[in-house]
Amino acid sequence: MALYKSILVAKADLKMAMKVKMVRYGLIGIGALGPITMLVTVALMVYGDPVIGVLILPSISAILAPMLGMIAIIPASMIAANALVGEKEMNTLEPLLSTPLTDRELLIGKLLSSFIPSMALLLGSILVSEIGTFIILRSVGAEFILVPGIPGLFLLLTAGPTLIVAIVSIMILISGRVKRVYEAYQTSGAVVMVFILPMMIPTMTMGAGTVDMNSVWMWNIITFLITLVIAASTWALAVRKFNRDTMISM
Amino acid sequence: MVIKLDEVVISGLTKKFDDLTAVDHIEFNVAKGSIYGLLGPNGAGKSTTIRLLCTLLRPDEGTATVSGFDIIESPVQVREITGVLPEEGNHTLYQTLSGYDNLEYFARLYDVPEDEIPGRIEELLTFMDLWERKDDPAGELSTGNRQRLALCRALLHKPKVLLLDEPTAALDPVAAKRVRKLILSFSEKYGQTFFINSHNLSEVQRMCDKIAIIDEGKILLSGDTQELRTRFKTSQDFRIRVVDDLEKAGSIAESLDFVTSLKKEADTIVVTIEDPFTNNSMLMQSLLSQGIKIVEFAEEEATLEDLYLDVIKEGGAK
Repeated sequence: MALYKSILVAKADLKMAMKVKMVRYGLIGIGALGPITMLVTVALMVYGDPVIGVLILPSISAILAPMLGMIAIIPASMIAANALVGEKEMNTLEPLLSTPLTDRELLIGKLLSSFIPSMALLLGSILVSEIGTFIILRSVGAEFILVPGIPGLFLLLTAGPTLIVAIVSIMILISGRVKRVYEAYQTSGAVVMVFILPMMIPTMTMGAGTVDMNSVWMWNIITFLITLVIAASTWALAVRKFNRDTMISM
Repeated sequence: MVIKLDEVVISGLTKKFDDLTAVDHIEFNVAKGSIYGLLGPNGAGKSTTIRLLCTLLRPDEGTATVSGFDIIESPVQVREITGVLPEEGNHTLYQTLSGYDNLEYFARLYDVPEDEIPGRIEELLTFMDLWERKDDPAGELSTGNRQRLALCRALLHKPKVLLLDEPTAALDPVAAKRVRKLILSFSEKYGQTFFINSHNLSEVQRMCDKIAIIDEGKILLSGDTQELRTRFKTSQDFRIRVVDDLEKAGSIAESLDFVTSLKKEADTIVVTIEDPFTNNSMLMQSLLSQGIKIVEFAEEEATLEDLYLDVIKEGGAK
């Protein structure tokens, strides 16, 4: 398998996806939404009452971290829908499949085209949130606290990528059943909703303004394991289903 | 004597979609460097045949080899040496990318050496008169220009075999003529093998060395274009110009039971006869023996359309 060919496919997909207004503005809008929500919340807490704000910031961070992840991975489904169903809708799938690309190279290419921007968005969101929080805390002379904190970073950097793989895999599986990109967007939206749940579970431990950090850790690990199982099983299924015959016949 | 080796060998190729047998145990060979036409009505199985040959679909039975590579055993190698123009090729380009970017992307996918890509693209686009428009998004080009761009894409990696599905469909006559000219010039210049799907009879007649007629997934007939045009006539028109006795000549011809129709035009009668290869001499003899002076006895050229309609009507191999 030649990885450079997969990268070639991913680059072309990204280039094409960025020419679609819905994807381009969706990425910018969604990408900005997570850090803005995060920083506005931090600012309200810290500027409202710096002492209490700094005290409850780790708990707030634990609640907001999954939200940051959820928002950052939504574009994965948009780009995957465009890269898979879009090719079919634009009639470009057949010439692409007529090239010497192997099924595996194509599959990896389609995964990378969604994975790379979604991961970049996730990491960018984390970085902007951390830098913004640092600036806000320094402006009131408070000690620096990571927002998202360590448990949140663990969740985002483990469950985030596995969830992206799961979403792309599910998109590959449903692409055989939908004919138009907008149908795929709708279906992928529903799929994202399913995956929101495991990411939200840690927030259920909250009580009286703070959360039990042990419980946060436990649920973050469980969430990661759930996403890992979902990603592994859907990816395995996608690899089995992804072949020329089914793509052309569908 | 020049012996042409077979570039494409199809043996018992079959493809089913649920209850529909799209391609039903077809067999034929395509000689190296030839232009082969697969004729048939819509839904006959032409596109499925091309999709099988370029390994997009996997056959249920039988197989085929392209330049010695088996489509089931070596699909990647088959795709490396084939260039494909899919059905409605002009709609299969990345519309938002420029013509140049479309070709550059596919050149890389086909492993054209990086240092050869710009030159290869320029050569093809210049040949197709598209170089000036290389930076225009494909979606902004005319149908004819898009079709030629799609042909460029198929030719980029200098494939041994070109599989073209309805290459002139949806084109105006001028654009269609241009595409036909391009195919013929490439065939002559590079000796590539062309396999062309078409339901355009005159197109096939003008371009192809050999043809096969397919209907309901079955090959009804295959062979040399010229030979088939003459061999498979169940009836044929003859134009007979006579001196004076036009009425008498008409009456004699009408009395023969193998004459199925008769028309009179000035000094000429046009008769349609059954089994022309047996009966044409009998017609002439009958006229001459009754004193008719014949100035001209000409066979109307048989067209592929006649052949095609005959074969489709009979619905069986001859």
